Amino acid sequence: MPATSQQLSPVEEQEKLLDDALGQVKVNAFQVKRCLDKGKLMDALKHASAMLGELRTSLLSPKSYYELYMAITDELRHMELYLLDEFQKGRKVTDLYELVQYAGNIVPRLYLLITVGLVYIKSNSGLKRDILNDLVEMCRGVQHPLRGLFLRNYLLQCTRNVLPDSPEMENEDGNGNVRDSINFVLMNFAEMNKLWVRMQHQGHSREKQNREKEREELRILVGTNLVRLSQLESVTMEKYQKIVLPGILEQVVSCKDAIAQEYLMECIIQVFPDEFHLQTLNPFLKSCAELETGVNVKNIVISLMERLAVFSQRSDGVGSGSGEDNFPSNVQLFEVFSDQVASIISNRQDLPVEDMVSLQVALVNLAHKCYPDRVDYVDKVMLNSTEVFARLGMERFEANSSVGKELQKLLRIPIDNYNNLLTVLKLQHYATLMEHLDYNGRKLLSIYILNNALESETVISSQEQVEQALNLVSTLVSDQPDQPKIEVDIEELAEEQGLLSRFIHQFKSTSSDQQYLVLLSARKILGAGGALRIKHTLPPLVFQAYQLAHKYKDLKEEDSMWEKKCQKIFQFTHSTITALVKAELAELPLRLFLQGALAINQIGFENHETVAYEFLSQAFSLYEDEISDSKAQLAAITLIVGTLEQISCFSEENAEPLRTQCALAASKLLKKPDQCRGVATCSHLFWSGKSLASNREETHDGKRVVECLKKGLRIAKQCMDISVQVQLYVELLNHYIYFFEKGNDQISVQVLNQVVGKIKEELPNLESSDETEQITKHFNNTLEHVKSRMESPESENVLYEGIEI
Amino acid sequence: MSFFGFGQSADIDICLDGQDSRKKVEVKTEDGKKELMLLYYDGETVSGKVNVSLKKAGSKLEHQGIKIEFIGQIELFYDRGNHHEFTSLVKELARPGEMIAHTSYTFEFSCVEKPFEVYTGCNVRLRYFLKVTIVRRLADIIKEVDIAVHTLSSYPEMNNSIKMEVGIEDCLHIEFEYNKSKYHLKDVIVGKIYFLLVRIKIKHMEIAIIKREITGSGPNTFTENETIAKYEIMDGAPVRGESIPIRVFLAGYELTPTMRDINKKFSVRYFLNLVLMDTEDRRYFKQQEITLWRKGDRLRKSNVQNNQGQDISEDHFLQIVPHLPDSSTVKADDKEIFTGVRSPTNDEDVSTSDTFLENTPNDNLIQHMQREAGDGEQNSNPENDE
Repeated sequence: MPATSQQLSPVEEQEKLLDDALGQVKVNAFQVKRCLDKGKLMDALKHASAMLGELRTSLLSPKSYYELYMAITDELRHMELYLLDEFQKGRKVTDLYELVQYAGNIVPRLYLLITVGLVYIKSNSGLKRDILNDLVEMCRGVQHPLRGLFLRNYLLQCTRNVLPDSPEMENEDGNGNVRDSINFVLMNFAEMNKLWVRMQHQGHSREKQNREKEREELRILVGTNLVRLSQLESVTMEKYQKIVLPGILEQVVSCKDAIAQEYLMECIIQVFPDEFHLQTLNPFLKSCAELETGVNVKNIVISLMERLAVFSQRSDGVGSGSGEDNFPSNVQLFEVFSDQVASIISNRQDLPVEDMVSLQVALVNLAHKCYPDRVDYVDKVMLNSTEVFARLGMERFEANSSVGKELQKLLRIPIDNYNNLLTVLKLQHYATLMEHLDYNGRKLLSIYILNNALESETVISSQEQVEQALNLVSTLVSDQPDQPKIEVDIEELAEEQGLLSRFIHQFKSTSSDQQYLVLLSARKILGAGGALRIKHTLPPLVFQAYQLAHKYKDLKEEDSMWEKKCQKIFQFTHSTITALVKAELAELPLRLFLQGALAINQIGFENHETVAYEFLSQAFSLYEDEISDSKAQLAAITLIVGTLEQISCFSEENAEPLRTQCALAASKLLKKPDQCRGVATCSHLFWSGKSLASNREETHDGKRVVECLKKGLRIAKQCMDISVQVQLYVELLNHYIYFFEKGNDQISVQVLNQVVGKIKEELPNLESSDETEQITKHFNNTLEHVKSRMESPESENVLYEGIEI
Repeated sequence: MSFFGFGQSADIDICLDGQDSRKKVEVKTEDGKKELMLLYYDGETVSGKVNVSLKKAGSKLEHQGIKIEFIGQIELFYDRGNHHEFTSLVKELARPGEMIAHTSYTFEFSCVEKPFEVYTGCNVRLRYFLKVTIVRRLADIIKEVDIAVHTLSSYPEMNNSIKMEVGIEDCLHIEFEYNKSKYHLKDVIVGKIYFLLVRIKIKHMEIAIIKREITGSGPNTFTENETIAKYEIMDGAPVRGESIPIRVFLAGYELTPTMRDINKKFSVRYFLNLVLMDTEDRRYFKQQEITLWRKGDRLRKSNVQNNQGQDISEDHFLQIVPHLPDSSTVKADDKEIFTGVRSPTNDEDVSTSDTFLENTPNDNLIQHMQREAGDGEQNSNPENDE
């Protein structure tokens, strides 16, 4: 080897060395060809030997050595072709087989021997078996890892097309059969693996990283052996089971090298067909448990599981019937994996907890893909996982720890796979396993569960299921002991509770009685959620209850007890709403009460008037006691008025006080404009309000209407702000016009003219502003309306006679 | 033949029977050149014709008689004057008289004993030749012709393998095996090295064939070692449990049969030297004598005739000693070797440094496995020394 100067960097040095070597190769290769052309075989061999001598170097990195190797083997191929040609012409081969063995150096000698051996096999296969055995045996002479690996790789490359591949019992003669090929490759594999592993233990420990990198680069050479085995067509299942796999596994396990074990196990999985794997799960997985501590067993097992899962699905697609049919019945795929995973977990002390969980994840995936119907399998995994945690004494995992993440993954699989919360609920150990997550983890998962249930529109139909489901998402339902003591983010909470509320809407039982029970138990659980939550969760329940009541009404022909039941339902809603009141909420219960009153009005069961009255009076008392904000008050009174206007089930005895109460409440509002508007709204009660006294027809009490409106005008006049005053006038004008058109005889054109005149008087005095503009517009629109009514031909335009616009 | 000078009045030409059909072999001469000679075996008759032709036609040659001798002799190069003849046969071709014309004489040495093989070494030469002498008053006219002689042996009755465990304590233990102790000249050495303990960084391992020629006796003993072949059998460092195959074809090297104490003048012996080289270029070696013998090649001739391309003599690759198949058999073997090897080591505790670890002159070594210097040479392993 030429001396290299000190200044060169390692990379440059490698380049230089490689260039030098390649130069030598080129020169010798040229000589080889020249001699062959002249028929001087001996000289050609001498030059070939010199060329191969370059492969004796210890100075090249694996990468450079590979380049050199490629260049040289290229040239050897040329020689091989020449020799093959010669021998087919009748030249003797044996002499040459002996002749090349006189080469003094072992590396060139063995390369030549392989080349000549191959020629010999090709020209006369009678001694194939012996030559193969001889070659693989002689290669032992090269114990230097790098050189040995490449030499044996050359052997493997050369023999790839000549390996005997006929079934055993045939060709017992020198041609050999598949058994010989297996032995040959297994032996070569074992030797290469030993060399490869040995690289790890050579040189300084500080170069460890570098060495591992080099080994990574070379691993394909070792793996090629397995590829070759997988390419033998006569390797049947039986042979694989009895000879090939045990041979490989023994070598893999005994080499005690993490890098090799990890790579080779993966290799086995990838190169051999799935059908073989199915039959050899036990030995393979057993070996997995025996691997070195540094080996990522998880990845290996998972890789196998995934492959088989995919295989099961693929064969599912091709054949008919379920995946199970395509598996040989003697392979209990899941059981085998389950047992082996359990034993791996218990035997390997070094296995990180997250890896254990990952294994379970893979197991669940496998169970799902291969046995979609077997919920019990998934449940078993959940149970096993729980047991593992119990054994390790692990209680809780943080959501963002690696274990927590894996665990979440595990728990999400059933949700994703089944897309049906009910199926998930069938997993008895799901909830227990979920308990191992910390608060945040559980909450995230709960949200996930709910989202899934919503998307897949899962209907929860029994009391039991409701209880289970709500128990599962308990982090959302109520406060938890392990909840972090920090202030709750209201917006976040609202979002979560929104999901839960939507979910509640999916509590739909087939029978109404059942539904009632469902609501009852939901109410019981959700009621414990605390003020912040029930605000979100109880209203949907109330609405569900109202719906149920409607349903009973529809069923009244079939269910004689319907009225009683409805009453019960409203009692239930009443108490539920009261719970909200107790949580110091006002507007929400108010609305719910009003909604309830409406429902009661529509359903009209026995005694409904009393109940409706109760609901409305509750609403009133809420209004009076709890709502203090003037805006809210106005809104509330408007709602109450609107509700009351709709309800027709009251006798006069009940209706009158309510109406009066409304008018009174309206006029007692704090701000004048509010009063004005409230009173104006109330006016409608006396016109379109219905009661039993009016036979559920509109009352049309024109006098009371006008009283209200006049009061409105009075109040408007009291307003200090002219612009507000005008605005109110315009609004009142609209009310007047409405009733006028409806035919209230208490309203005359004069009254209208008065109001219009008042407005016209004040309007120009307003400062010009956006507000003013709005008011003017409103007023003009109103006038336009009147005009259009006057002009429209079919209307009784007589009505507006004498109006001054 | 210019040796005889000109002015000689007659030329002698020895013409052996079957000159054209008899096999010829190359024999190295004293000056290192190779010469083709007719090949004879022990007990074969050497016969032919001696032609004496006169230089000048018509003249006459007066002589005191003509004789032909068959001589086998050993020449020691450091003792030029003394040739040791171990065979000398004389035939008289003509009585004293006058030769007038060109004359031919037939001769025959029937069934001549030729106990040794021709040999040319560093210090000694063994040759057979025919010598025709025309005895004259002033200067005899002499003509010599060398012939080649090969001694053939039959297959040895005993041919044990050589198997031994050797090493340096706590450093290197190996077990080696050569399939035979006696090889014929076209034979193949097959064997294996089994590494029992490796605590040194071995770079490579080779087998050398060494020829040792010993001439003379007593104080005038000369020993010459010549490395005939160097053959690398392993590249890189093995680990414990490795077994390395050996296969060396002998036919390609210039070898002679082992010769022991030829006529009390010289011996030629062969050794296999197993050499391990470590990364610091220290050499560890173990020499083992092998016996070489010449096999008659009549069988081979018939083989050659049948052997058109296809029929291969199988010993080229079938003789590999199968790799130790499982550990149990190895262990069984081990024990025997241990007892066989250990006992001498224990006996010689005191002299260990001399016999076991010895420096070789050129390598500046610290230790090696060499153990033959003290006892191996003279009283080498009794089972191998026959």
